[in-house]
Amino acid sequence: MAVSVSSPTKLPPGVETRKVLLKWLVAMLVPVIVFTFVWSGEGIVNQALLGVLIPQSPYYDHDLWFNILRFVFIVLIYGTSIVLTGYLVASDSGRRSAIEVWLDVLFIAVLPLIMLTVTGNLLIGLGLSVIIWAIYNFIRSRVRAARHIAVAPPLTDIRVMDKAGQQALLRLAQQGGFWFATSFAVIALVADVIFYAIGSLPTELLSWVIARTVLLVVAGWFLGRQGGKMALRYVVTPDEEVVVGAEASHAGEVHVSRKDQLAHLSASRAREEARDVVPNDKPLLSRGATRIYMFLLLLFVVLYPVLDPIIFGAQTKGRITGYGDLGFYIILALGLNIVVGFAGLLDLGYVAFFIIGTYAWSLVGSEQFYKLTNIMAKPEVFSWFFWPMIIIAALITALWGVILGAPTLRLRGDYLAIVTLGFGEIIPIVFTQMDAVTNGNNGIAGVYPPITPCIGSFCINWNTSPTPYYYLILILIALCVFANIRLRDSKLGRAWVAIREDEIAASSSGINLVNTKLFAFAAGAFFAGIAGAYHAAKLGTVSPSDFNTTDSYIYLAMVVIGGLGSIPGVIVGAIVVYAINLLILPQLDAYAADPSNFLHVIPQMLPNFTFENIRDLLFGALLIIIVIFRPEGLIPSARRRRELHHTTNEEEIEQQDPSALDAIPGTPAFEAEVHVE
Amino acid sequence: MATFVNLLIVGLATGAIYALIALGYTMVYGIIELINFAHGDIFMLGTFVTIAILSALGVQYSHPPTAMSWELVGQLALACVGSFLFCAILGVVIERVAYRPLRSAPRLAPLISAIGVSLVLQDVGKLWFGPTNVSIVPMPIGAISAGPINIDIINIFVLIVALALMAGLHFLVNFTRMGRAMRAVAQDRDAAALMGVNVNLIIALTFFIGAGLAGAGGFIYTLKFPNTYFYLGFQQGLIAFTAAVLGGIGNLAGAMVGGLLIGLIYSFVTLIPNNILPHGGNAWNQAVIFAILILILIFRPSGLFGQHTPEKV
Repeated sequence: MAVSVSSPTKLPPGVETRKVLLKWLVAMLVPVIVFTFVWSGEGIVNQALLGVLIPQSPYYDHDLWFNILRFVFIVLIYGTSIVLTGYLVASDSGRRSAIEVWLDVLFIAVLPLIMLTVTGNLLIGLGLSVIIWAIYNFIRSRVRAARHIAVAPPLTDIRVMDKAGQQALLRLAQQGGFWFATSFAVIALVADVIFYAIGSLPTELLSWVIARTVLLVVAGWFLGRQGGKMALRYVVTPDEEVVVGAEASHAGEVHVSRKDQLAHLSASRAREEARDVVPNDKPLLSRGATRIYMFLLLLFVVLYPVLDPIIFGAQTKGRITGYGDLGFYIILALGLNIVVGFAGLLDLGYVAFFIIGTYAWSLVGSEQFYKLTNIMAKPEVFSWFFWPMIIIAALITALWGVILGAPTLRLRGDYLAIVTLGFGEIIPIVFTQMDAVTNGNNGIAGVYPPITPCIGSFCINWNTSPTPYYYLILILIALCVFANIRLRDSKLGRAWVAIREDEIAASSSGINLVNTKLFAFAAGAFFAGIAGAYHAAKLGTVSPSDFNTTDSYIYLAMVVIGGLGSIPGVIVGAIVVYAINLLILPQLDAYAADPSNFLHVIPQMLPNFTFENIRDLLFGALLIIIVIFRPEGLIPSARRRRELHHTTNEEEIEQQDPSALDAIPGTPAFEAEVHVE
Repeated sequence: MATFVNLLIVGLATGAIYALIALGYTMVYGIIELINFAHGDIFMLGTFVTIAILSALGVQYSHPPTAMSWELVGQLALACVGSFLFCAILGVVIERVAYRPLRSAPRLAPLISAIGVSLVLQDVGKLWFGPTNVSIVPMPIGAISAGPINIDIINIFVLIVALALMAGLHFLVNFTRMGRAMRAVAQDRDAAALMGVNVNLIIALTFFIGAGLAGAGGFIYTLKFPNTYFYLGFQQGLIAFTAAVLGGIGNLAGAMVGGLLIGLIYSFVTLIPNNILPHGGNAWNQAVIFAILILILIFRPSGLFGQHTPEKV
């Protein structure tokens, strides 16, 4: 335990805190330095500043707003890392050695940054580092097993922290933040002086270098304390009203302190809770740190279109278009997750709802409307209808969800699956053959993009730029995630889960099976409608041949690989499956053609080989591998994780004292002895 | 009347092929409750193996067989056995690699693994014979004519082979020790293991037989419709799976009847005229099949032959 009441108030740390400070300073400085000097950190801020300071230079982007946003991004990144350092220093129990922590940081943070620099491609860089990280994890667990290194049970030394202890914690965090920021400022200063000496740092930036050095030191002092305050939220505090033991039952009211609560949880639940309590063994994984990562991730995602040209160079438009498409897959996966993940109804024809949503906007927002109704659909007027039509399209698909759901209510399990599969087959045929309405196989071209009012001379360019769609889908995803969370936690959501677990028990508990299932189908279809309307507007054309029955399987793979019923899992699953299938694998041929790439060896050895020919083979093999290694999904929902790891936990079984089982099962003594979780 | 008889015979022959594929679906489902999406693609590889063996034996466009001879019969028998064995072994390998590691995993995980296997097999087919249609020289099997009725002998041949295989399977499952072990594993895997049944072996055998039947189905499909391509397995597999569900999934007799029924629907749908459905029934056959399936399932939720098992509380 690094924190002690006698921690000094002075800046130079005491002997006992030196060790923990050193551990986290190295752990944080290395990734931040790699971010700044190896990857693009310094490039972003320098280009933003130079773009403003040297307006005549042709080398820089002079858009003032973009540069301000880039600057804000950098400021927030460094500020957040100071807060993170403060938090980590404060919340470390000091039981894990520094080397272990450094290795973790190396593989989780430094490796992806280096991979991004080497490959110059976001998804391939991240993909490679995930593979290396998985191999590292596998080797580490093997080594641990071979050397019989047991992980210490997390709850053995939960500390109750009084006021003085909390103050010491705050001071420690402050020291952590301060020394981290100061050492980074010094390192950056030295580096910039060297850059200036060899002439690669323009004179215009010197004032920034000085300002940054001062700012960092001051920010370290205040933001480190902020990190400490975050850590304090997860501290176990002494409960002043605790009445001990026998007195409590006399008084008739029992106050249970947080520590007692934790001590009485089942082992698996306690392990989950103990991950978040401060101090803990793995502060990098605790909830406070996770919140900070989420903030950083959100920052990166929101500002991505601004940063992309600097980080990854040309072809920004293509990349942002790709990520915009990725967005509607996330919405589809979220919707399917309601049907399959929450309510447990296997739906193999989800693409049908997506098609209906797509056509809902295409038939209204295009020339086709004139053919059907003889009402002139002028683009400048009808483009406005896109906004209400997102909701109307979603409602139409929800209605179709009910229409499909109604006849299938009596079916169970795989009979339901085949009927939904059939629905997924019928709908494309209907849209192809009803060519009087839908133009059949030719599809509908010239679907109108949305339109927004201009603010002064500033208009959003929906026609050619992919960036507005990127932000539109971000907003839609945010709304869908919000709706999903609220649905999951609602009465309806709990009824879905009850039906999934046991239909008969659910209905005997008063759940109306018919309504609940129909709502699940409707809610799932609703999201597909939103995604469909967006897809039609973004792509501008729609035809039945764009959709395959196999698409439904891909959506299902997203949900299962991500983790059934887990909202973050499903988002990650959608990203992983989409990235592998549509962003990484199609690019492999381009990589193999590039002589500087390691893949270039393959086409030289095999003359007729192309990756395009084995794309599905690679994708299928990856699906099998992922599902075999993580059958419960990449981020399983808490409930499922508990179910799966409940009985298979060998440590716990070993820990049970066999002599405790000498009472006859069924007798009160047995009930008292055997702890039922 | 003549049209009716012709459609009936064609429907029965097509249905027999569907039934052979459906048996594989239903056997695997019966024993491990998995929709084996890769099964249709095994069938597709069966058609490819048949073509490869026949052309290796010299049955090619350059030397088209002119009349039935004992030599040709031998070649066909070799192709049939080769296709059966190839697919059967492939089925066992797939089970070992992709499904066995997931036997205690959550229920949908093996489904995704099956989709992955299906994608892999399709690409294997594409690499093997290319992405276009692959055709084989038609067999010199004539037709019987009785007045206005013309029956291709190939249809009768297909029916006979399929029915013989089904009868063999029926005997195997119902009257042998191995069949009893299979039924035991299907009913309760743990109890069967306690009674001394080698569960892994029985599941592997189920895959062997199921996939082998798909291989034999691939062989007779190639004789009847002498061309194939890599996506065939997905389309035919979907229909065959529908047949298995129609009959009551997990039920062997159900799969046979379901297959024949779907074949008949497939061939009689062509009678629907343009003024009822735009572009005539042929364009809608898939949709009609699924519509009929949904209708049947509304009234019999466990398929035609599936027993409705009341759930134990």
